[in-house]
Parts: sequence; C-alpha cells; structure tokens
Amino acid sequence: MTATSQVDLLHPSGVSPMSFSGRRREFLKLLVTGSLFQIPTFGFYRFWFITKQRRYLWANTKIGNEAFEYTGSAKELLIGFLIAFAILTPIYLGYFLLGILLEEKKEFASLPLGFALYALVHFGVYRARRYRASRTSFRGIRFWMDGSGWRYAAQAIKWNIVNTLTVGLTLPWSMAALERYCMRHTYFGSIQGDFVGTGTELFKRAGWIWFLLIVATLTWLMSFRLFSLSGLESAAWTATSIAGLVGLILVFLPAIPMAMALFTRWQIEGIRFGEVAVRSKLRKRDFYGPFIKLILSAIGFLIVLGGCHFAGFVMLVKYFGADLQGLAKGQLTLGTGLFVAISYLATFMGLGVIKRYFMGRGLWAITVSSVAVTNLAAIDAAVAAGQPAGVIGEGLADALDFNVGL
Amino acid sequence: MADAVFYDGQSARRRLVSVNVTASALDIHEGPDWIASWPVGDVRRRDAPEGILRLTREGASELARLDIADAEMQAAIRLHCRHLDETVHKERTGRILFWSLAATASILLCVFFLLPILADRLTPLIPVSLERRLGTAVDNQVRAIFSGKVCEEPQGRAALSKLTDHLRKSRSPAVDVDIAVIESRIPNAIALPGGRIYLFKALLDKSESVDEIAGVLAHEMGHVAHRDGLRKMIQAGGTSYLLGLLLGDVTGGGAIVLVSRYLVDSAYSREAESAADDFAGATMVALGRPAHEMALLLKRVEGGKGGDGNDFAVPAFLSTHPVTDQRLKALEKQVPSRQGEPLLSQEEWRALKEICKTT
Repeated sequence: MTATSQVDLLHPSGVSPMSFSGRRREFLKLLVTGSLFQIPTFGFYRFWFITKQRRYLWANTKIGNEAFEYTGSAKELLIGFLIAFAILTPIYLGYFLLGILLEEKKEFASLPLGFALYALVHFGVYRARRYRASRTSFRGIRFWMDGSGWRYAAQAIKWNIVNTLTVGLTLPWSMAALERYCMRHTYFGSIQGDFVGTGTELFKRAGWIWFLLIVATLTWLMSFRLFSLSGLESAAWTATSIAGLVGLILVFLPAIPMAMALFTRWQIEGIRFGEVAVRSKLRKRDFYGPFIKLILSAIGFLIVLGGCHFAGFVMLVKYFGADLQGLAKGQLTLGTGLFVAISYLATFMGLGVIKRYFMGRGLWAITVSSVAVTNLAAIDAAVAAGQPAGVIGEGLADALDFNVGL
Repeated sequence: MADAVFYDGQSARRRLVSVNVTASALDIHEGPDWIASWPVGDVRRRDAPEGILRLTREGASELARLDIADAEMQAAIRLHCRHLDETVHKERTGRILFWSLAATASILLCVFFLLPILADRLTPLIPVSLERRLGTAVDNQVRAIFSGKVCEEPQGRAALSKLTDHLRKSRSPAVDVDIAVIESRIPNAIALPGGRIYLFKALLDKSESVDEIAGVLAHEMGHVAHRDGLRKMIQAGGTSYLLGLLLGDVTGGGAIVLVSRYLVDSAYSREAESAADDFAGATMVALGRPAHEMALLLKRVEGGKGGDGNDFAVPAFLSTHPVTDQRLKALEKQVPSRQGEPLLSQEEWRALKEICKTT
C-alpha cells in the first residue's frame, strides 16, 4: 500500500487535515526570477508570474494526501487583460468627451466614470473569483461558479453604502452576505457549496476590534479638538498632532493581523460542500509571525539597499561626474537617469518579493495547515459539471489595478 | 506493477489502481478490471506536490489524473514517456520575452512617433469652439491647482488690457487671447487651449520693464496661435492612456507613466518653444520693441534660483527648456527697423505691477 491509500486508515473518524508542502526555497526562486523577468518584458511577464505562483500554491495544498491543481494558463490572463482593455477604452474616451461637454462642472462630470469603474471593480472581483474557482481541480473534478457578476456588484455597492453610513459596524453582516452569495454559487462538480458563517458570529469574534478602533479614532479627534482650542503654538501643535497620529497608527497596525486571522478563520469555517464541512484551528496570533518577518525583512532590505545606493551614488559622482545640481533641479542626465531607474526598480522588485513571500506564501501555508476537512468521503458522489469560466474579471483587476489576491 | 491513484475526470471517486508500464503504453487496472491504456506518447505531466508524479492523457478527459508515488515506477515512466513536459500551452521564456519586447517597441513607437504626428494632424481638425470648451475645463483644474486668485485691481486690469490689445493687433489675423494675472509664488506664465493665458504674479514681480513682460506674453500668444496647448493635451492624454493601461499593475507603473510623460512632454516642447519664440520676436518687432528682453527676464529668474530660496520649484517651462544662449541670440537678431512707442506709460506700468493689490 502506498501513502495515498492510508489516508482513511489514519483518519477513521472522517477528519482529513489539510497541509502545505511547498518548499520555501522553490517559491523564493520563483519570485526572484519572475520579478527579474518583469524588467525586460516591461511587466508583460506578470501573467506568467502570477500563474506560476498559483500553480505552486495550489499543487502544494493538500487535503490528506491529495493535492489541488491549478489548471489556468498565462495566455488566458493575457487575453482577459486585452478584453478589459477593449472594455475600458470606450469608457475612458467617453469620460474624456464628457469632461469637455460638461465643462462647467468638472467634478460632476467625473462622477459617472467613478461610478462605472467602481461597479466594474466589484464585477471584476466576482468574475475573477469565478475564473480561479473554475481553474481549480481536486480529484479530477473542477470547482466552478455560476451567479451574476452584476448582481454581486449591486449587492456589494448596497453594502458599501450601508457600511459607510454605519461607520463599519455592519461590516460583518455585509461580509457574510457577500460570501454567502459567492459560496452558494460555487460548486464542486455536481455538489453545491454553501456558506454557514453569520455576521453575528463574526461580530462576536471581531467586533471588539471595531470598538477599539472607533474609540482610538474618537480619542484622537477629541484631543485634536482640545489642542486646537488650547491655542498652543503652531510647532507644538504640529508635534502633538503627529504624536497623536503615530499613536493611532500604533493602535491600528497590530490590529490588522489579528483581524485578518479572525476573518480568515470565520470565512473558512463557514464553507460547506454538501455534507463536507471545514474546521480551522487558526489562532488570533498566528498571522503575527509573517507580518513581523515582513516588516523586519523589508527594513533590512531597505538598509542594505540604502548602503548600495550610497556606494553607487558616490561612484557615480566620482567616476562619471554626475551633475548633482542638475539632478536637484529635476534635470536627468543619462547616467543619473539610469541610476534612478535602477534603484527604483530594485526597491520595488525587492519589496514585492518580500511581500509576496510572506503575505502570499506565508499566510497561505499557515492558513492551510490550520484546516481540517470533515466527511471528505461525501464528495465521492460528485460528478463532473460546469465549464471553465471566462477570464474578464482577472483582466479588469489587472487593468484597473485592484487586488483580487492570488 | 505498483499502486497508484486514478481519477477518471468524471467522478470524484478515488480509485486505487495498479499500473503496468510498457514501452508502448501505461496499462491501468483496478483490481482485475482493465480501466484504460494510455499510449506513452500521449502521457503528460501535471503539477503535483513533491514526491508525486501526476499524469494525464492528452486528448482524453481533460481532468483525468493518475497520481504515482512510487519512485521506481516514476523512473520507469520518465524513461518511456518522452513527451511528459510537452503541454498544449508550452511556454517558452524566449518567446514571451520576444513578444513583450515587440509589444513594448510598438507602444513606444506609438508614443514617440505616431502620437506626435496624430496630435499634429488632429489639432487643425478640432474646431476652435471645441478647443474653447476644452480650455474652460482645463482652466477649472488650473485654478484648483493654484487655488487661483485672479488679480482684479481695476487700474492694473486696464493697463493689462491695453498691453493685450497692442500685442493682439500687431498680428494679422489677430490672435484671440484672454490674459489674466494669477496669484502664485512660482515665476511662470502658461497658455491654455482656447486662448487663456495666465501670467503668474511672481514673474510680474521680477520683471523690470514692460518689454520683458510683453515679450513673455507674446511668447505665450505664440503657443495659443500654434494651438500648442491643444496638441500637448492630445499627446499627453494618449501617452498616459497607452502606458497606463498597458503597464497594468506592474509595480510602480504609475511612476513610469509620470517619468515617460515628463520626457515626452519636454522633448516635444523644445520645438514648440522656439516656434513660440519666433512668434514673440516677430510680434515685438512689429511693435518696434526689442525682442530679447524677455529672455533676459527668464535668465534672471533662472539665475535667481537658490539665492533667495524664495521659490520652491523651478517652473516647468524653465526646467524643461532653459534659456539657452542660443535662444537669447535668436531673439537678439530680431531687431526692429524703427523704434516704436513704449507699450505702456510709466503710470500704467506701475498699475500693472500692482494689479494684485486689493484696495
């Protein structure tokens, strides 16, 4: 008997733990080479880059001993981007003309565009999820989604308005509603998905973070008001307000990983596919590791890079006689221009690699390892259904520069 | 013979199978039953975690998979199936590189060669009425940027409109412009599409004679007459659209867009600038006034940088095309054959200088 057939013997209770087996070094290599390829290809390589990351993450994510598989291709993403390009061109042109025609009220003229793009973002988020679901397979069966991107967008916009009016208090319920919409339109072959997480449950778990943030913000605003009444001198006033802002950020920042962990766990535990349920042991503190590593390595990277910059700059001035005054005036010579371009690319590529490594792979691995699937045997009944979905959502996400995650 | 797991792509059932590897095919049996035979030439590899060889058969059910964990069998399969890594969408990095470069080259070609030509050809086709509307839209933005207070002191305004009239009428056909002084600490002057010209107060403050200011205004009138603002808008709009959308989310795409626009704009305006200089020179000569004084003013503004530390930014029209000696010489050549009347009286000049004073 091989390892694959022992899963059921090891977990007779019907609980199959998930695991992540991808090697760190392999992913890091993938990130570095992918980032470097972005340079000569002027960013076109991003379609291949993101596809490679997904293939790595999916293939190393296992339930018991069976791995997922990502079946999407980079060419599809490229096509999706071209489609988005075709859709956005008339919108941009229309906006341009509108801006001319409604000359007096420029601000109002930009409203329709803003709204169209805003609706498109929600639409794109849904369709991108749909694309990724239908490119995910497990046990030779494809996940897929139906449902309408526009209906999702309408719901999302409605909830955005409600959340704004309630200063975020209703956020848990909006997340539950949207997730329910997504999961009820998700299928594993012939088995329909569901989402049983509730807004109330999420609020119970994470509501205190919201209260904390509201109290902190209010305190900050109040102290602001008090100080401005007390008539401090402008320098002292600036110092206090900066100190207040730093304090506020110090309250906000540590809350982020915790909120993310709470939300992720709630989101995972709500997933159902027929009889199959999912549990997660993800703890509040579990995301701090990757975040701290992210911050430390980013700082370390910037220090090293700063050193290199200084050395490079000294070299440049000494040997190439770079025109410092010209640079200060904003005039770029070839030498200084090249230097600025290289240091700019190095900074962003490096930070990008660090971010993808810890936020992409790091959080993914921790999350996956916390999950156990119960009653997996129930999916034996699933038969193939659904078709691969179109790629327009991913294209919109790319062209409009909003994040749909991995 | 060894154990493997087979998924037929039709149901999610995991089937424990035995696989027999021969030189021609993989024969798959579930217990005593034969399930499938995959010809070695059709067998392809798919993504799998380390230690597992995941196979599929090209042309069979798209998601049918055979997972093999046994190392010996993996070796046997690698030996016999010679096309394991050939996929439908085989990606060759070289090809991606080539086409990316080709696409980029074509975009850059558009930005640097086709867009300027397009802007040149399109500009005369755009009716003046549309340009005016465009100008108003731009005007609103410019005013927002400079939180623009337009200087309205009546006597100053009278002087300014007298100067404007002189400049306008010296040309035939007269250039339709609308000149205003705007409160700003940056020494600059700009011409918007549609004929609105803003003279920034700081530049007016630094000027020492009417001819200097008249030259600057005539220069801006040249931009208006040549419809440079409109051309620049078409070009900048096209550039930012092409680069912005195409670069998508590549890290720092926004900054690249900015840099490119800066480069394109400055490369473009050098020509337009000397054309506007010619226009200014001709205008001043027609009025019988010296043309080079404007260049002296601009040189003074440029030289004054850093000294007083009063100005935070070098105005764009200086940094992208500084007052070269070449430019100065070209203007000095334009000498009027007869001396004309001063454009403004001493009193009017003083009033113009104080146009921003509120009573």
